[in-house]
Parts: sequence; C-alpha cells; structure tokens
Amino acid sequence: MNDIPLTWFLIFAAACFVIGLMGVLVRRNAIAVLMAIEIMLNAANINLVAFWRYGTPVEGDSPISGVMFAIFVITVAAAEVAVGIGLILLCYRRWHAADVDRFDSLSG
Amino acid sequence: MNQILFGVIATMGVLSALGTVLARNLVHAGLFLVAFFFLIACQFVMLEAEFLAAVQVLVYIGAVAIILMFGIMLTRNIQGDDTTTVSRAGFIAGGLAAVGLLTVLIFGITHEEGRSGRPAWNSVTTRPAIYPASARKSESQAAAINNMGLAVGEDLLTRYIVAFEAAGILLTAALVGAIALAIQEGPVSDDPSDRVKSKQNAESLAADEAESLLTSSRA
Repeated sequence: MNDIPLTWFLIFAAACFVIGLMGVLVRRNAIAVLMAIEIMLNAANINLVAFWRYGTPVEGDSPISGVMFAIFVITVAAAEVAVGIGLILLCYRRWHAADVDRFDSLSG
Repeated sequence: MNQILFGVIATMGVLSALGTVLARNLVHAGLFLVAFFFLIACQFVMLEAEFLAAVQVLVYIGAVAIILMFGIMLTRNIQGDDTTTVSRAGFIAGGLAAVGLLTVLIFGITHEEGRSGRPAWNSVTTRPAIYPASARKSESQAAAINNMGLAVGEDLLTRYIVAFEAAGILLTAALVGAIALAIQEGPVSDDPSDRVKSKQNAESLAADEAESLLTSSRA
C-alpha cells in the first residue's frame, strides 16, 4: 500500500502557515489579517493531527490525543474570531476604517 | 492513488490559501477562505480523522466564515477595495520574510535526525494499522479511530473534563464580550469626547454617513 509520507503533510502545513504569515504581514484590512490568522491556525491543526496519526500511541495516553488537541484549537479559534470581529466593528465605528494602520492612537 | 489524491488536495489548498491572502476584493478572499477550510477538512479525511473533518466543516465553514463575511459586509471600505494591501516595499518585505521562514521550516523538516535510540520521523511513511486484527499494540487507538465520535465524547467527559469546562467558560465569556464590545449605546458618535456636544453634531454625523453610503453605493 502506497501510504503518504509524514513529511508531505508537514511541508503542506508549513506552506500554509507561511502563506498565512505573509497575509498577516502584507494585508492592511483588519478582517483580511483575521483570515490569515485562521489559515495559520489550520496549518497548525494539520501538524497536530498528522503527528498523532503517524506516531505510535503511548500506553495510558488518550488514543486520540491529537484530535482532541485540534478540537480545542478550533474552539479557541472560534472564540477569537467572535471577539476579533467585535473589536473590528468597534474600531470601524470610531475611525470609519478597517485598516490596521489607521488604528494608531497609541503611537506617540 | 493516495499520493495523487494528496497532491491534488495539497495543491488546491495552497492555491486557495494564496488566493485568500492576495485577492484584492475581500469577498473573493472570504470565498477562497471557505475553499481552504474545505480542503483542510479533506486533509483531515486523508489522515483518517473524519470526525474532525465534520467539525471543521461545521465550525469553520458554517460559523467562522459566515462571521467573517458579516464583518466584511459591515465594514466595506468607503474608499474602495484598492487599499487592502500595503505598498510594494511592504509586499516585498512580507514576501521575503515568508520565503525565509518557509526555507527554514522545510530544511528543518527534511533534515531531522531523530532522538537517540529512535528513528527520525521524516522517514516515517506508514501509519499504525486501524484494523483491529492486525493491530496488537495500538488496538485502543484503532478502536478509537473507527468510532471517533464515541471516543471524542468519552475523552471530553473523562480525561479532558477540565479543559472542556474551561473551553465552555472561554466561549461564553468571548461571546458575551463580543456583544458587549459591539453593542451601540445612544446616537452614533465619532469619538468619546464628542458625546457631550450632542444633537447638532449627531445630526451632521448622520448626514455625513448618509453621504458616504451614497458615494460608496455609487462607486
């Protein structure tokens, strides 16, 4: 059976993470930055599940530890998006823009 | 067969991630993001975590993408969509940082040597079997993979009960906090110091907003 090497999943996750990082650095719109952060979180999830699936299970540990970890990551990501959108809407109402470089009240 | 399937899914995933990051129109970026989430769910299926794939589709495509779409629709930039990326210099700097990190990561992944007494994991190509007959050592894992919904439920209420409760509190606090942030009290105001100046200010602001809405809808 021609199984997929673990390295392929890791490289795919690394590529997605890097694209997300580029999005965070390059985009100016706050919502686009939030989307790029979601891409990065998903890439990390791929890594967690891939290592769980290819590793040998440890005696006494949860048999699906990687999946549980990924589920908690998804939970936190959902909470993060809700709060992030709330903050962006608040900032939009105050500055009439959703660009991250316009939110500069704290820069001296 | 599996490898070809992986190649197709991975290529489409990377392309849709690039589309999310580079699309000028934010709505297009959001749609690319939906495609990316779905392809990640496909990768979970390739990793035999079908339950996680279902959770991915429900939570990310069903909730997160829709919330992001709401955000896009509510904060359409009045100046148009051309301002969503930074300048050329910033673009090159961001791209360089990304390519540099990708080089480091791929070098690290392909040159891993393994801890003493253990084989390097970059040579791992086979997974523990999930057929109970052939899996002696990893039998509980095989059973969990074949019936993952049950295993996740049991784990959530036994081994991970504290994390489960903490996640519940976190979600409640986050949603209440989001509503508290976004709730609008009284007339729309530009700045907290403006609130004392009350009525005619609010009226002119409303006029301004109507005007900007008109121009944006014309554009």
